[in-house]
Amino acid sequence: MNSTRKRRLFNICIVILFSMSGAGLILYSLNSNLDYFFTPTELKNKTISVDKRIKVGGMVLKGSVERISSKVSFTITDYKNSVNVEYEGIVPDLFKEESGVVVLGYLKNQMVFAEEVLAKHDENYMPPSLKIVNDN
Amino acid sequence: MIKKFIHQFASPKTFLLQVERSYSFIFFTSLCIYVFSIVWGLLFTPEDFVQGNSYRIMYLHVPASFLSQSLYIAMAVSSVTYLIWRVKLAAYLVIAIAPIGAMTTFIALISGSIWGIPTWGTWWQWDARITSTLILFIMYLGLISLHNSFSNYEKADKLLSWLVIVGAVNIPIIKKSVDWWSTLHQSASITLTEKPSIDPVMLYPLIGAIIGFFGLIVCLILMSSKNQIFIREKNKSWVKDYV
Amino acid sequence: MFNFAFNSFYEAIYMNGHGIYVWSVLFIVFFSLLVFFTVYRYKIKKIKEKLDELN
Repeated sequence: MNSTRKRRLFNICIVILFSMSGAGLILYSLNSNLDYFFTPTELKNKTISVDKRIKVGGMVLKGSVERISSKVSFTITDYKNSVNVEYEGIVPDLFKEESGVVVLGYLKNQMVFAEEVLAKHDENYMPPSLKIVNDN
Repeated sequence: MIKKFIHQFASPKTFLLQVERSYSFIFFTSLCIYVFSIVWGLLFTPEDFVQGNSYRIMYLHVPASFLSQSLYIAMAVSSVTYLIWRVKLAAYLVIAIAPIGAMTTFIALISGSIWGIPTWGTWWQWDARITSTLILFIMYLGLISLHNSFSNYEKADKLLSWLVIVGAVNIPIIKKSVDWWSTLHQSASITLTEKPSIDPVMLYPLIGAIIGFFGLIVCLILMSSKNQIFIREKNKSWVKDYV
Repeated sequence: MFNFAFNSFYEAIYMNGHGIYVWSVLFIVFFSLLVFFTVYRYKIKKIKEKLDELN
């Protein structure tokens, strides 16, 4: 490689370095703001005003889902802490006990009043027949 | 010898002859693989234990998402090649790939949105993965319109290549977004280091779909670079002989 | 490994209500591919005609 090419390569490396550190600094300063939702543990350590719309995500605690007419109440847990949720409306098909959920709503008296409930699924895919075999 | 080989292949004329020779083979093989894998995935695999039949969108969504990122990496590699060695073909490739990259990103976004409706219960959320993919799409559009706004090709090529390199920082962000932050999007099912978390019966057609789609996109790139070569070298004597 | 996943043709189209999503994505993917292949084919044809005129 001759000297002009070496110089060009050097310039490219400098540009990559600067853009990476620029992006890195932006991401570092935004850090937790880029999180899509709070976990119940994060929620416990934070003071959030009642008029701020928040998202809370985790697993639906087994046996916590209760339906009273069109109202649904359940508990979101990250297996360390948990928070109760109340919601009025239709939940997505994938909303189940012991599966992922994200709710959008307001925190009042340690309770989330949800306006929207989204299901979050994981990266595992398998046929139902195999699932039964695995569980046994 | 390698130097000689690269110089020969990097000449637009040899490249065009190679394209002419291999195009139909790549096209028909990858079309067969793609259609076969899609039919297999959509109709001949069992349904998923959580998502039921809606998981079948994966066979269309994953290849497009994979290509949307790979094509940007290909553009960045071409840009570096152009900026260091001033290989003209590399500059043609950068602008030839851009619209196709935009198309695959568009497919990834649309198919992801449609997949979100039956599974998540929403078609759009500003989580890190979805937002960074949207940024990638806008970047592709920006790069194309930037190149179009120049009348001087050499200036356009140089500026485009530099910007592609600067924008490459978005690719690792897209890739790692599901690990660095909490997102609605699930984390990767297929990784280089770990066993895939997709059952083999569902995984094989997915791999086929990725390979087939990749081949079809390669064909599109060959066509678009052929077009680019004709536009840019139309005054050269070899083009006149060629046509 | 190649077992048809549905009991009937209708079930394969309907997919327990998810058919509309799956088939519309399939349509979008193949439509985009078709459009891009046609556009590039047309562009190359046009520029070849132009080059012919120049000669």
